[in-house]
Amino acid sequence: MTLIKWYRAPILSAGLVLLIQGCSTPVHYPPRDTRLPPPVIEQSVPAPAPLPTPQVGMPQPVPVPPPVTKEQSPAVVALLGTAEQQANAGDLEAASASLERAIRIDPRNALLWHHLATVRLSQGDAPAAEQLAVKSNSLAPGNTVQQSRNWQLIARARRAQNNEKGAVVADQRARELAERQ
Amino acid sequence: MARRRTRGRKTSRRKRTRKTFPWFKLALVLLLLAGAYVVWLDIQVTSQFTGKRWSLPARVYARPLELYAGSELSPQLFAEELRALNYRPVSSVQQAGQYSRNRETFHVMTRPFTFWDGEESARNLRVTFSGKTVAQLADRNTGKAISLARLDPVLVGSFYPAHNEDRVLLQLKAVPVSLTDALIAIEDRGFYRHHGVAPMAILRALWVNLRAGGVVQGGSTLTQQLVKNFFLTSERSLVRKVNEAIMALLLELHYEKDEILEAYLNEVYLAQDGRRSINGFGLASYFYFDRPLAELSVDQYALLVGLVKGPSYYNPWRHPERARARRNLVLGVMADLQLISASEAARAKTQRLGVGSVGRKAINTFPAFLDLVRRQLQTDYRDEDITSEGLSIFTTLDPQVQWGLEQSLQGRLNELESARGVEPGKLEGAAVVTSVQGGEVLAVAGGRNPKFAGFNRALDARRQVGSLIKPAVYLTALEQPERYTLATLLDDSPLTWTARNGDVWEPGNYDKENHGEVPLYQALAHSYNISTARLGLELGVDTIVSTLHRLGVEQKLNPYPSLLLGAVEMSPFQVTRLYQTFASGGFVTPLRAITAVLAADKTPLQRYPLNVRAAIEPEYAHLVSTAMMYAVRQGTGQAIYHALPYERSVAGKTGTTDDLRDSWFAAFTGDRLGVVWIGRDDNQSTGLTGSTGALRVWRDLFVQFNDSATIQATAEEIEYHWIDPATGLLADAACLDAVQLPFVPGSAPQQHSPCARGRGALPAAVDWFQELFE
Repeated sequence: MTLIKWYRAPILSAGLVLLIQGCSTPVHYPPRDTRLPPPVIEQSVPAPAPLPTPQVGMPQPVPVPPPVTKEQSPAVVALLGTAEQQANAGDLEAASASLERAIRIDPRNALLWHHLATVRLSQGDAPAAEQLAVKSNSLAPGNTVQQSRNWQLIARARRAQNNEKGAVVADQRARELAERQ
Repeated sequence: MARRRTRGRKTSRRKRTRKTFPWFKLALVLLLLAGAYVVWLDIQVTSQFTGKRWSLPARVYARPLELYAGSELSPQLFAEELRALNYRPVSSVQQAGQYSRNRETFHVMTRPFTFWDGEESARNLRVTFSGKTVAQLADRNTGKAISLARLDPVLVGSFYPAHNEDRVLLQLKAVPVSLTDALIAIEDRGFYRHHGVAPMAILRALWVNLRAGGVVQGGSTLTQQLVKNFFLTSERSLVRKVNEAIMALLLELHYEKDEILEAYLNEVYLAQDGRRSINGFGLASYFYFDRPLAELSVDQYALLVGLVKGPSYYNPWRHPERARARRNLVLGVMADLQLISASEAARAKTQRLGVGSVGRKAINTFPAFLDLVRRQLQTDYRDEDITSEGLSIFTTLDPQVQWGLEQSLQGRLNELESARGVEPGKLEGAAVVTSVQGGEVLAVAGGRNPKFAGFNRALDARRQVGSLIKPAVYLTALEQPERYTLATLLDDSPLTWTARNGDVWEPGNYDKENHGEVPLYQALAHSYNISTARLGLELGVDTIVSTLHRLGVEQKLNPYPSLLLGAVEMSPFQVTRLYQTFASGGFVTPLRAITAVLAADKTPLQRYPLNVRAAIEPEYAHLVSTAMMYAVRQGTGQAIYHALPYERSVAGKTGTTDDLRDSWFAAFTGDRLGVVWIGRDDNQSTGLTGSTGALRVWRDLFVQFNDSATIQATAEEIEYHWIDPATGLLADAACLDAVQLPFVPGSAPQQHSPCARGRGALPAAVDWFQELFE
């Protein structure tokens, strides 16, 4: 299955865009989970309810504006496909470039940061990969599926840095999040 | 003795040998010398010609414009970008570099371009706009929708070697045949037949020139001309002529005609632009016509070929009549040789010269940004590599943001000076704009005059930052949720602090008032000095220093209490680095001006990848951003909303230093971060606060953007509560001034404010998260 195929089936549900994350096993990626992937819930941060009572004076500030539920843009889907092809062909640097191009278009797409982290790990830059996975987490509040996958990646990145203790903690987080799904 | 004897014997023989022997010897020596000389010339010719032939300046490109359905781009900005790329408006698009517009619909034939990640081929696009977004993108050849297309990037500058020779290298196969035909017709008709020198050509040239009643042809072959330009000085002497002839013969001996022609096309001198000499047809095409050679018409080729004879004498701007006559003469010769038809020649002769404007030849359009690029390059490349290896440098510069910034800064400074009766030109400014998540530098202003390539204030003007430092103090507090929340009341009553050495510090508020007890978020929003100083002293100045380092501040900081109120000097760029961490939700994100570098042969050399480093937990980044949003909603940054729509989410902080010497504003939306500084080079008072000065520039710029993204998505571990700001306690429907504030779980106040009289709870904001997912 290619990434593109998976992405072409977004299911709109309760105002959230549910995306199924593709999970092929590319030749040059390190081994990863090959089970059928669970749905990934895109960013979904609703605003706190507005004051119901009529207010006197100045309008209340709105610290957290309403959620932006954006359908995955075809441009981003296309770039993900390109990145996947490049990664599978062994050109990880080009795959990184394509993912960064996608991030320029959709900077807060946690999935893109996750893929970038994966590629960076395959390139042997475990510290960078770990940080990028943390970044992906910060962009996916409430998205336990994405977070669980990020923690799995963090665990691998930590092992690659000989941080076994940290890796065990990350594995634990990944499992907890997976159980919450 | 012996010598004499020998000589005597020789003298006796001399009679017999005198006539032949010395002459033979001399001839032999001369022949050997001549042979050695030829060998020496040969070594020169082959070594220089085979090796690298030219040092090529690095070319610096802006970010390419990405086109896709749904991208935020107005038709007007699109047209501006096409103009910057010198795409030509036509009624019907026929070739690359042309576009047509019918209200909301553009037809564009893009130019092929080699990017870091490969070649983007030429495409025949139909771009349809709807309001300020791209509604549809389709391929006109197939009619099918396209998900993504890139335009070629705008060339924003070059880094030149010391001798200022500039060229765009051409390969012969990319050179239009009409051009080479015309060139050979005019300069060296026997090019493909001779062996480097053509004695008959000199005679023929004489004849042709006589017939034409002026100098139409020169006698020397293209090969000789190339040799002259390539190896020799321009002195006119017989020795040089001989050298030229020998070297021309040698060159022909070693190399194919096409190689020689290609070298000629790239070497020939075609214009002077200030100190920069324009060499080769590749660059000349851009210089005279603002577009690549492949996009020119036959009359334009004829003009370029005509210019070979004397770029200064036939300068089409200074001597248009001479240039036109020369061009038409070339066209006439082409028609005579049946390279073009007579009617084609007649039509071409009626064309206008079609040269671009002279004024647009400024080499480096954005000197302040290029300065940053150069500094970032210098960490990886030697100076001579930057100026001579023909690198292509892809940057993050967004020309549209850069133009907007330059106009905003210049316009606002003029306005401020005239409104306040400041001597014109006294106020200076600098600014940096970046993308929030990627840390890409989109624009840099180094001063109010954007074309001035001198002192780059954005990078080098280190000034006191004042209140811009405060978010670091409040962040340090909020990172201890058991002690401090956004609702914690801070003491803003007078403060006297005595150092160990007996020095006394008594900070005061800007409005010279004390505000009693104020909730933490308001103390930041209104930029109260006393409560901030007291808070910072409670936390410890050392702790604040380490927070600042964690946030990405690299310079050494002295842990003096005055640091808490911004008695520390930073450049606008350094401030941007600090605020980038807040804007990106707590990640130190290196500010990149370069994305990739290609070698001269377009092979990838280096990429500057996107990297981040977690510096603050997302929930604390969220809390401090919220306080900065209040600073813009209700505090010192309110003037933002005099121009920006109220629903636009902005977080920021003003900064003002003693005697109003520096006016700062640093603020971000969900998409972009901008830091603006206004001050004077002589460090005198500007009469401006952060709000009356720098903020206005920021606003003039950001009002042009449609930054719809919200500030960093809420962190997971956050709950919202209604708070009565007067007491910092929980509110209910009876509290009319209640605000909704975010808290780290468990840190919210437990008690209700006296205003809460059980008139019913405000809507529970706490559990929205669970409700959605359970």
